Amino acid sequence: MGVADTLQAYWNELTEAERTLSTAVGVTVLGLLVLMLTGVLDPTYFLFLFGLGGMYALLSMGLNVQWGYAGLINFSVAAFFGLGAYGTALLTAQSSPIAGGLPPLIGLLAGLGLAGVVAVLIGVPTLRLRADYLAIASLGLAEVVRMIVLNESQWTAGSQGLYGIPLFYDGWPIVGGLPGALPTIQFVGPGGPVTFGTPFWQELLNVLLLLGFLGASIFVLRRAHRSPWGRVLRTIRADEHLAEALGKHTYRFKMQAFVLGSLIMALGGVYFAHLQLFVSPGNLDPVTTFYVWVAVILGGSGSNRGALFGGFVIVAIREGSRFLGDASVVPIDAAPLRLIIIGLLIILLMRFRPQGLLPPQRELIWPSVIDNRGDRDG
Amino acid sequence: MGEPPLLAVEELKKTFGALVATDHASFSVERGTITGLIGPNGAGKSTLFNCISGFYQPDGGTITLSGTDITGLTPYEIVDHGLVRTFQTPRRLEGMTVREAMLVGPREQPGETFHKLFTAPGAVAAHERENLAAVDRMLEAFELDHLATQPATDLSGGQLKLVELARAMLTEPEILLLDEPVAGVNPTLAKDLATQIRRLHDEGTTFLIIEHDMEFIMDLADRIVVLDQGSVLTEGPPEAIRADDRVIDAYLGGGGRG
Repeated sequence: MGVADTLQAYWNELTEAERTLSTAVGVTVLGLLVLMLTGVLDPTYFLFLFGLGGMYALLSMGLNVQWGYAGLINFSVAAFFGLGAYGTALLTAQSSPIAGGLPPLIGLLAGLGLAGVVAVLIGVPTLRLRADYLAIASLGLAEVVRMIVLNESQWTAGSQGLYGIPLFYDGWPIVGGLPGALPTIQFVGPGGPVTFGTPFWQELLNVLLLLGFLGASIFVLRRAHRSPWGRVLRTIRADEHLAEALGKHTYRFKMQAFVLGSLIMALGGVYFAHLQLFVSPGNLDPVTTFYVWVAVILGGSGSNRGALFGGFVIVAIREGSRFLGDASVVPIDAAPLRLIIIGLLIILLMRFRPQGLLPPQRELIWPSVIDNRGDRDG
Repeated sequence: MGEPPLLAVEELKKTFGALVATDHASFSVERGTITGLIGPNGAGKSTLFNCISGFYQPDGGTITLSGTDITGLTPYEIVDHGLVRTFQTPRRLEGMTVREAMLVGPREQPGETFHKLFTAPGAVAAHERENLAAVDRMLEAFELDHLATQPATDLSGGQLKLVELARAMLTEPEILLLDEPVAGVNPTLAKDLATQIRRLHDEGTTFLIIEHDMEFIMDLADRIVVLDQGSVLTEGPPEAIRADDRVIDAYLGGGGRG
């Protein structure tokens, strides 16, 4: 089977909504590429935004494991994101009051470890109780983490934030020196000068790193979602008593989903720290949690690709509203405009497509089992 | 009989604040029987079910299953001992097809252990294949095979009750507790349910059934336990219960004064 046939088969299996959205995404990406190559958009900044989009995608995929799979209400997305970001920053940043200067790979492990431990600590007392208790506890946790980061400046540098965070691949053989070694390409497009220099190559490597993080997460999540494990989580979401009555140890499943989701959120935080190269308590504002919830609901709760899509849409709205505000297209400041747009979006979504844009619509049975039975054509 | 009863409830007590829901309730279910549990509204039938299946912690008394004390265990531990229950209102599983919903039933699936999805995908696939085959056989036996790939939310109330029963059987229980299996089910499907329960009984499953439909339960059960005001009023074969004035009194609201 050739590549074209494979693509054709894949296309045939998509639902109507998925085809429409794939086309829209394809057109948008193509349009952005054209704008970039003609000098209208700064390619370096654009790649940075793409990185932010991917970071939000990681956060929403993490929340989707908790809310979309298992029905756990977590209002501390910003906290787990922050634990990931601060976990790596505290070990790698030059200005870190604790360690500093350690390789980012150690930082990655520390960020994930920290988030995992906190997830277990908050899960132990709340996951045995009714769903609302986790919601309340997580709301508190987000503020506690933010307050600790803000006030315990002997460990966290407080409101100054941590700067001098290295790029993730700094010091790696070959790759670390690549952005400086690649040539600078410059030309003048219809919309202005276009430069592909060292900063651009850096951002490009960041995007590759992001694709690695996203790819690894998607690999784990897809497998988990289609497994008996994912099926028990979906049963718990629909009716926890039923899962218990069928002999499932629901507490264990909820804990695993909560930790897995939190780890993926922390991965988003680690990525952010090495993208922005600066973290501050402002990054832990609860509005991040709000954006991520919007992303998951917009994409369709329970759907991995929906969460992925929703994450990028949120950044598009964030930056789009800034652009509109700066360009004075509408007489409103960027910040309130953004909230108005998101508010309208949610209202329209709930009115016309409450299940989200890409809700899960396939039977989720272990792949090889279904394929071998010839239940699928194409 | 030398063998201990499959399920024995002794002096069971459960209170909610000042309200005594069950008090000194004692009865037993012999292996291989269909036992009916009847009683007027508020007699404590559902509380008793919830205590036996581990959803409530009893305040006193003991519950033994094949001689093993299961009092106060969690629901999943009790399922591991071979006792499975269904619910009065069928639970709809949103976003699942019927066979997906059925696949939740089988116990000890390696695919339910997270790390095995990555360390032992072969074993996961093999079990999933076996389980899916078991689901197909079970759906066929229940004459539900035409619904296998339908969304579980599209079923009628009666079909859902059949699916619940079929799924509960996939856990391979020794004793199955059914909470009002024919409540809100049309007469044709109720007949199907009775047929299925008899078939499963013939294959060796023991049943304890709460039911308000007297005709249904008197026809099905070998033995009836009558509960009134939290304790056992009387028990015996259906004919004897039918003729017992105390039972009629209890149902008419006499409440033991007569």
